[in-house]
Amino acid sequence: MFPANIEHYSRPATIDEALATSARFEDGEAMFIAGGQSLMQAMKSRMTRPRCLIDLQAIAELRGICPDANALSIGAMTRYATIAADERLSGYFAALRDAASHVGDRQVRNRGTIGGSCCWNYVASCMPAVVLALGAEMQLRAAGGASRAVAAEDFLIAPLETARAEHEILLGLRFQAPAGRGGSAYQKWGLVKDALPVVGVCVAVTLDAAGRCASARVGLAGLSAGAHRATAAEQALLGSTGDAAAIAKAFDAAATAADAQGDKWADMAYRQNLIRTLGQAVATSAFARAAGSKE
Amino acid sequence: MEQQLKANKQWMGARMERKEDLRLVTGQGKYLADIVLPGMLHAVFVRSEYAHAKILGIDTSAALELPGVIAVLTGEDFRTEVKSMRQPVLLPNLPAAYPEYYALAVDKVKYHGDPVAVVIARDKYTAEDAAELVMVDYEELPVILDAEAALEPGAPQVHDDQPGNEMFAMTFTGGATEEEQRANEAAVEQIFKTADVVVSNRFRVHRTGITPMEPRGVLCDWTMADGLTAWITTQRPHIDRLALIDILDIPGEKVRVIAPRDQGGGFGVKAPFFRENVVIAHAARKLGKPVRWIESRYESLMSVGQERDQVNTLDVAATKEGKLLAIRNRGVANNGTGQTGVYWGFVMPFLGQVEMPNVYTWEKGDIKLRVASTNKACLTPSRAFGHFPTRFAVERSIDMVARKVGMEPAVLRRKNMVPQLPYTTVTGEYYDSGDFLKVWDNLLTHIDLPAFRREQAALREQGRYIGIGFACGAELSGVASELLVPMENQPGYGAATVRVDPRGKVLIFGGDAPGGQGHETTVAQVVASTFGIDPKDSVVTTGDTGATPFGAGTIGARAGSYFVSAVHKACADLKEKITHVLAHDLGIRATVEEFSFINGEVIYLRDPSKKKPFREIVERIIMFPVNLPEGEVGGLEATAFFEAAKPMICFNGDFCVVEVDIKTAEFKIKRWVTSEDVGNVINQNIVDGQMHGAIVQGLSNAVYEEFIYNEQGQQLTADFENYKLATAADVPDIELSYASTPCPHTPLGTRGIGEGRPSSVPGALSNAICDALAPFGIEITELPLRPSSLWTKIKAAQG
Amino acid sequence: MQTVTIKVNGEAFTESVPPRLLLVDFLRERLALTGTHVGCTHEGVCGACTVHLDGDAVKSCLMLAVQADGHDITTVEGLAKGEELSALQRAFREEHGLQCGFCTPGILMNMTDFLKHNPNPTDDEIRQGLIGNLCRCTGYVHIVRAVRTAAKMLAAEAR
Repeated sequence: MFPANIEHYSRPATIDEALATSARFEDGEAMFIAGGQSLMQAMKSRMTRPRCLIDLQAIAELRGICPDANALSIGAMTRYATIAADERLSGYFAALRDAASHVGDRQVRNRGTIGGSCCWNYVASCMPAVVLALGAEMQLRAAGGASRAVAAEDFLIAPLETARAEHEILLGLRFQAPAGRGGSAYQKWGLVKDALPVVGVCVAVTLDAAGRCASARVGLAGLSAGAHRATAAEQALLGSTGDAAAIAKAFDAAATAADAQGDKWADMAYRQNLIRTLGQAVATSAFARAAGSKE
Repeated sequence: MEQQLKANKQWMGARMERKEDLRLVTGQGKYLADIVLPGMLHAVFVRSEYAHAKILGIDTSAALELPGVIAVLTGEDFRTEVKSMRQPVLLPNLPAAYPEYYALAVDKVKYHGDPVAVVIARDKYTAEDAAELVMVDYEELPVILDAEAALEPGAPQVHDDQPGNEMFAMTFTGGATEEEQRANEAAVEQIFKTADVVVSNRFRVHRTGITPMEPRGVLCDWTMADGLTAWITTQRPHIDRLALIDILDIPGEKVRVIAPRDQGGGFGVKAPFFRENVVIAHAARKLGKPVRWIESRYESLMSVGQERDQVNTLDVAATKEGKLLAIRNRGVANNGTGQTGVYWGFVMPFLGQVEMPNVYTWEKGDIKLRVASTNKACLTPSRAFGHFPTRFAVERSIDMVARKVGMEPAVLRRKNMVPQLPYTTVTGEYYDSGDFLKVWDNLLTHIDLPAFRREQAALREQGRYIGIGFACGAELSGVASELLVPMENQPGYGAATVRVDPRGKVLIFGGDAPGGQGHETTVAQVVASTFGIDPKDSVVTTGDTGATPFGAGTIGARAGSYFVSAVHKACADLKEKITHVLAHDLGIRATVEEFSFINGEVIYLRDPSKKKPFREIVERIIMFPVNLPEGEVGGLEATAFFEAAKPMICFNGDFCVVEVDIKTAEFKIKRWVTSEDVGNVINQNIVDGQMHGAIVQGLSNAVYEEFIYNEQGQQLTADFENYKLATAADVPDIELSYASTPCPHTPLGTRGIGEGRPSSVPGALSNAICDALAPFGIEITELPLRPSSLWTKIKAAQG
Repeated sequence: MQTVTIKVNGEAFTESVPPRLLLVDFLRERLALTGTHVGCTHEGVCGACTVHLDGDAVKSCLMLAVQADGHDITTVEGLAKGEELSALQRAFREEHGLQCGFCTPGILMNMTDFLKHNPNPTDDEIRQGLIGNLCRCTGYVHIVRAVRTAAKMLAAEAR
């Protein structure tokens, strides 16, 4: 119900200050807190017991949505509510708004952050699958100043496990702007509206001049392996015009290939069916958005 | 005179704003967790990790060493210092194998969450730290979780003093003697052998219930001079007081129980007498300091709010014309440990079987129940007390009969509905008054069935599947002594004290403790209507055993039936006295019927110039009691008791329209429509709200909520992430309608409503889904209703 | 222990708190503002603890008091201006939008924020906005009506 004792709470003004504070502690003793919507749950259930809590809220540099001609950059501390409300996130980046606007509830969206979600990498979460499908590059900085960029698929290792090292901070996510027209979409299914995804599917496609699929990335959420790409579906979509038959085939393949667990929300067969039906809906929407639809 | 009568606001039936709401919308409500006493200590329980284990030892030393920890109590403290929980005050009058148990677990733990120790500390954070440090040494024992398996020979025994794990068993039909019952069984079997139509199914309803938004809590203050004052989140403070007296051996004059004025819902979950009450009271007594326990949601979902969990093997026989003949049921209920006083879990399934016949005219019935102990939490009452699963089974079976004989389910129901009340069912349940057919016909005015069937057929051509499902229920309206004494060894009467003060204000005192039903408002409307004053000129006090008349509690819809009737009676007694004195003062001979209480005045009808303001005549009687009529004494306070000779009912019919997407088996409710007999209405808003709330609770139970135990008996659903309640986005709007018959047995013609209301929901919803999926021949016999399981059925049917 | 200064309902409070003290406990126990309620354990799903952090609806059980240092908190006790209730408070009374009242403060706080962002909502949007607030008593029907009525009241007052 209540967290275990916390010896230190600090609210650094800069990234370097945050890293320096973290580096003073043994591995696992200091934790960064972003929006806290997942971390507070873990602390209150005492699943995690940080000796030191480093609050990132005062570091303005970690917030912001910056699109330019080459790339979209989103600061790690950017809240879901901010992402959900940003109309510039359309076309290839529309899935970010799809996902962000349906995480949890509006109170959660006023606090939770994209960086927090990716670093927590909970098994049933939306953002990891979306950033995977959009090919994000995770920008990291370590104590001592060393920076590195890690591709999302290398960053998201397994549920609750990422490539972020101890005493390293996620600064933000960088998404390459698509070459040509692009569109993405995300939908999920849970037992109640906007529940944690039992299954979530994100599709991001780009079209060549002839209107054929030049690139396709499909991210799956909710399966026990955590966020991962459905490569069979990606292969099937390539070169297609996004017609119903091609999409159906792609997600039949994805459903069959998926290692879907059965649990109290859905048995394995139903999860596979969800991959099929959600995938079809999401792919259709992604292609439409790539073609210019504003829906 | 006419104008004056018209000017008097009609308080009965009004949509008056509630008196409770000003404090509640401004955050000024006072719930148990808001009550603070100086020097108060905080309690946190240590609960078993295991479903079944021996307690080899408990090491509290590390916990005691933590600064701020005052004491740690274990089961041994209770075994040696306090009586057991199995005391006559908490035992029903029903024959059952009541297991012995103490306020904390002794020797064994019997369910995941069984309280083993309690830590008392200066603050609750420290108490939780210390609770983690209490080391319990367990030896695991074999676990039994399935009710039917528990009743098999050779199953692991839950209680040493209950061999065979059978908590309770009863035959509800045929008669009192075994011979009569066997003859009845044979007669019923004969009907089944020769009937045109027989449907037989095994209906399984999962473990779920109506957990309230406010968890439980207990705050106890003990002084040597004054004894115990206990604030408890309870629906029945007077009963709790008796239990504390008997178990803790404190003289009655030194025990006071107070249910906080504001409680965040009860729904039956706060009706039993819980072990935690004894633990906290004893701790306060030992330490001589106030001790408070606030239940966490985790504890709540581990220990209470679990109900339903029944298998009902139900056979229904009918003629090919759709006339119902016989009903035969073998019910098995999963009681968990049964270690919760007053109900012991099994009283709920008991009542569920009693209510099985519903509103249909059966020639004969053969209904039997066995209740099994298992290593799960004891069942606690949950709105639709015991009959959520049995109503589901019967309403589903009715639809299956209808399909077999080729009749509209709504029409078959009507054909078999009890046409004339009063009526006694095959289980001996008495239906006192009402007109089922009137309510049902009103329901049917809200749907053009032939047009619906045409639309359904047309949509099927397009591969779309809509369906309509009906259900109905006769629900207990108040629980009379006739039922409550045998069931619970408790009285059913309603009681109220009404005190008029010299300024013309009215104070009402009731012993039953509400949890959101708006009793302060309803009662104020009754008093206003009776005395001709404004509802704002009265105030209601409930739930304090030191200040209110004895009442069995806010259970079974007793407020609208019993409590307000007692209020009315007390007011009526006072009106007699007021008019007696007024007539005397006016120098006339007149009876109470010749006076009108209206717009703040008491007026002699034969000569309206002869009148007195209410405020003045009452002040005269209370403050200046001289020159009174012969035999009369001053003062204006009356206590009245109300009891109906027989239990009373209310009635509802529902239908819902759904569309099922066969690609995903998701179902969407397009309409939910009801028709209700609630008797005369006092506050229409409150009655409407009760219906909405009950139906949504029913939907949430039927579709989303499920308590799940794994094979080791670990409960996996003790938080709201895993035990999902319906949110506003998950449930539809609801269309209510009314076709009421005033109740002839209450002074105001009111009926208590709301308790059993969720029970018709799973039947109506699953009937609608089965109607939609009729081309696939799908029949639902299990809850919860999940797209995942429905999809499997559709796939199987598609072949 | 850490010293924090938190403005609550317009008044600044300086208190010494342990880092692990939940914001909801700070409000309820340090400041005796018991209108904000606790209805779940660690999961933060029920929404009864909803307050405003710098005007945004957030769950105070999922925050530490130290995180609120230097910020503005509004609780249900801060909605009325003296005896003048807010539009939502009036609407909830009119439409019987509450029964036991336990979830009500959280809903009032959430919907106050919601209506600022969505002053003319559809019923579906209201229901979607209410996902973070569980209610057991009302079945949500009158709550939705109350929010709709409040929206109308606010629009009328704005004119």
